[in-house]
Parts: sequence; structure tokens; C-alpha cells
Amino acid sequence: MRTTTILMIVSLLALVALFLPSILFLAGCMALTTTKWIMLLATIVWFVTATPWMWKQTG
Amino acid sequence: MDKEQQPQQEQTGSEFEREPVPQSRLLGFKSFIGMYAGEHTAGTELAIGPLFVAAGVSAFDVVVGLIVGNLLAVLSWIFLCAPIATRARLTLYYQLEKICGRKLVTLYDLANGVMFCFLAGAMVTVSATALGVWFDFRMPALNDWFPNSVGWVLAVLACGAMISVVAAYGYQIVSKVANVAAPWMVLVFIAFGLIGLRQFIDATGTEVNNLSDVWTLAKTHIWRGADPHPGRVKFTFWHVAFFAWFCNMAMHIGMSDLSVLRFAKKSWYGVASGTGMFLGHFLAWLAASILYAFQIHQDPGNTSVLPGPLAYQAAGLTGLICVIIAGWTTANPTIYRAGLAFQAIIPKSSRFRVTLVTGAIATVAAMFPALAMRLLDFVALYGLVLMPMGAVVFVDFWVIPKLGLRRSYAELSGRQFNWAAGAAWIVTLAICLTTVFIVGNWILYFVALPGWFIASVIYIVLSRIYQKQVPLSAAQV
Repeated sequence: MRTTTILMIVSLLALVALFLPSILFLAGCMALTTTKWIMLLATIVWFVTATPWMWKQTG
Repeated sequence: MDKEQQPQQEQTGSEFEREPVPQSRLLGFKSFIGMYAGEHTAGTELAIGPLFVAAGVSAFDVVVGLIVGNLLAVLSWIFLCAPIATRARLTLYYQLEKICGRKLVTLYDLANGVMFCFLAGAMVTVSATALGVWFDFRMPALNDWFPNSVGWVLAVLACGAMISVVAAYGYQIVSKVANVAAPWMVLVFIAFGLIGLRQFIDATGTEVNNLSDVWTLAKTHIWRGADPHPGRVKFTFWHVAFFAWFCNMAMHIGMSDLSVLRFAKKSWYGVASGTGMFLGHFLAWLAASILYAFQIHQDPGNTSVLPGPLAYQAAGLTGLICVIIAGWTTANPTIYRAGLAFQAIIPKSSRFRVTLVTGAIATVAAMFPALAMRLLDFVALYGLVLMPMGAVVFVDFWVIPKLGLRRSYAELSGRQFNWAAGAAWIVTLAICLTTVFIVGNWILYFVALPGWFIASVIYIVLSRIYQKQVPLSAAQV
């Protein structure tokens, strides 16, 4: 139960990390290369942490 | 089984196929929000958005047109499809069988299956463009009809084969992957737009301090309202609005989503379709069209609509993964559903084999880039072909009893082919397609609206004749 909660929190943070760089890039506060790398990292974290609890939910 | 996935699975599954959904199996509003958002944020959105730019649309026309069109689509789900779905609680196929008879439904299955095949083909095409970035083979241009390189054919074959085999084994695993990917994918789509916007700001040297500056940038550089690319219909506000309204016509006005919304507790749950429309068919289309406009801004000679390179340029590997997953997760259930439609025609055939053959047809179709490059035309045609049967269902449910006639007449009379419904379908299609042939391609986006009324009137008039010609016996009454 506790692990699931942690995974849920981390995966939601990954979604924030996925989206935030594009906003920072739009605001001119981040380079495109950095934006792409952070998005890729966030993507990996999302799939690693969201899959266990979302997979369970989908039975 | 998760409730969020359930409506979609029931649509292709075997539960309650020939009986109303019981009260105990009805689903809450939340289930439909997730399903619609996922289903309408697909790989093909990355091809549709750019095609608006290729059609020379202006900023006002595309933004306001999409708002109006998507709103009309949501209203169609709420007021046309959902009320019947939540009253009858039957699949479209069973509802049609009661009205039209088994043989006519078989014809409908065939048309539906063929359309699903081509739609899946377009999704495979989208996925294959991502492989082009990795393997650097020659990819199709905007006006190509035929495959133009061995690399392209091999990429489509690889994507198509993988998708077909997974679909043949049952698409449950892919539907789980789709569920996991959905929130991530929506955000990546929106990120495409934000990144593209910044790239435009930098490339044009525009100073952006407020929303008004963004709008000026959109009008002058992104959706300029210029001439369409050669061979394309010029898109105005009306084209965009009608396209957005009718691109899912098969589902709302065509009543395919009776199979989904029959699980809804209330008919207003049709409003959940708004998530799909305004995330997938508004934000995702606009984002994809920004990326394409930027590609043309950088190189006016590069008019190819290739979602893979577009996404890679904006978001790197994340963009490519998004294109592959978006294409894969939507092509898979589409091939599976096409397989089910074909299997209904030959019930004794193995679903595994039928799905594999269906996937093979979709893969061959995907090799022809015309399918993806002419996706706007195909999607409009797809809705048009299935629309008349939606009109038949609507009229049979609401109007026929008020005229003193009997609804579900094929079931009542035990007939296999209700020719009143069959004629309403075929004659309407013939009138609409002849009109397109005579007047020109541009009317393809509009003709479904008068077509719906034509189908309704034909069905009412012919039902009066048919029900006199085929009277019910005392037992049937």
C-alpha cells in the first residue's frame, strides 16, 4: 500500500517534470536540448513508476 | 477490470452483446472521461493538424472553427447518441439487427470493417514515420500516392506486422499500455505546441509580451490563411467546423458509441466526449499544426506531413516514443474491431486468423501514403459511409412510433433484410457521393448534414410502405 502511494506520487511528479520544461522553454528560461533530455527522463520515470499501479488498476 | 477501461472493452468484448446492460454494470461519469480522452488523442492527430496548414487555413478559422465543430460533436453525443444508448442499453450491432435484420447488418459489418482497416492503416503509417527518423530512409512526400522507397515499405511492414500479431493475440495488454500512456501522451502533445510556439517566436524574432502578440504571431506566421498546397481543398471556418463535427460522425451521429454509452448511468455522460474533443481534436491538432507550420517556415520546400520527424524535431526521443505509442495503441484496437466486424460476417472463422488477415490488409493500405496524406478526405468519407445507419437508428427510436408504425420491425416480423433501412443507407450514400463527384471534393466535408435528413426521410417513407407490405401476424403483433 505504502509502495503504491510512493509510486503514485513519483509518477505524478514525473508528469510535472515532463510538462514543466516545455513551459520553461516557451518562457525562454530553458534550452531546447535540456528540455528534450528532461522530458525523456520524465518519460522513463513515468513509465517505470506508473506502470505498476496503473497496471494493477486495469486488472 | 478497471472501470475506466471497461466501456471500451465491452465494445469489443462479448458481454451483453444481445441483451441490455443491467443496472448493476452501469458506470460512473469518470469512466467515460478517461476513455474519451485516450481514444481521441491518437497518432492520427499528428497527421490531421498539419493537413489543416496544408489546406491554407487562417488562425481565426482554425481556432474558432475547431471550438464550434468540437462543441457540435459533443452536443451530437449528448443529444443524439447518449439518450438512445441509455434507454435501449444495446450495442449498435444488436440495435441495428433488430431494425434492419441480420443480412443487412452483415453488409454494415463489411463496410465498417473495411473502414476500420483503412483507419488502422493510417495509424500504422504514422508509427512508421517514427522509424524513418532512426533508419533515415526516404519517406513519402505530401502528394505521394505510392510507396517511394524500400525502407518505407519495410518500416510499414515491421510496424504493421507487430501491431497485427499483438491484436490477434487479443489487445488487452495494449489497452493496458494505452491506459498507462494516456496522461503522458496528452501532456507530450501539448508540449509539442508550446515548444513549436517558442521556436516560431525565436525564428521570426517576434516580441511576445501578451496573448495579443501570440495571436498576431499565429495569424502572420502559423496559420496564415495562404493558398492551399497544390491539389488541396482550401479550408475556411466552415470546412474546419464541419470537419471537426463530422470526423467522428460514425461514432455520434452514426451511433457506433451506443455500444460505449449504454454503460452510462445518465445520458448527460455524453458530455465526457468533450475531453477527447478538446484535448485531442483541439489542443493536439493545433499543436501538430504548429510543428508543421514551423517545418515549412524553416524550409518552404519541405511540405511532407511526417509525424515522426515533426515530433523528433520538437521533443527528441520523447516525441518519437509518443508517435510510436500513439499510433500503436490506437491502431491495435482498430484492427481488433475490424477483425470482429469481419468475423461477424463469417462466424465460424477463427478470430486469430481473421485479425491477422485484417492487420495484413491494414498494413498493405499503410504502405500507400495517400491514405495518411489524404486523411482529411478519408475521415470525412468514413463518417459519411456509416452516417445513414445512424439516422435509421435515430428515426426508428424516436419518430417511427409517433407515426403509428412499429420500431425494430425486422425483429418483430422475423425478416432478415429490412429493405426500407437498406434503401435509406444505399440511396443516401449514392446521392451524397454523386453530389461530391459532380460538385467537387470540397463538398465532401458538408454533404453528410443534408445526407442525414435525406436518410431519415427515405427511411420514414419507405417504412410506411414496407410495414404495409410485410404485415405482422397476430402472434407477432
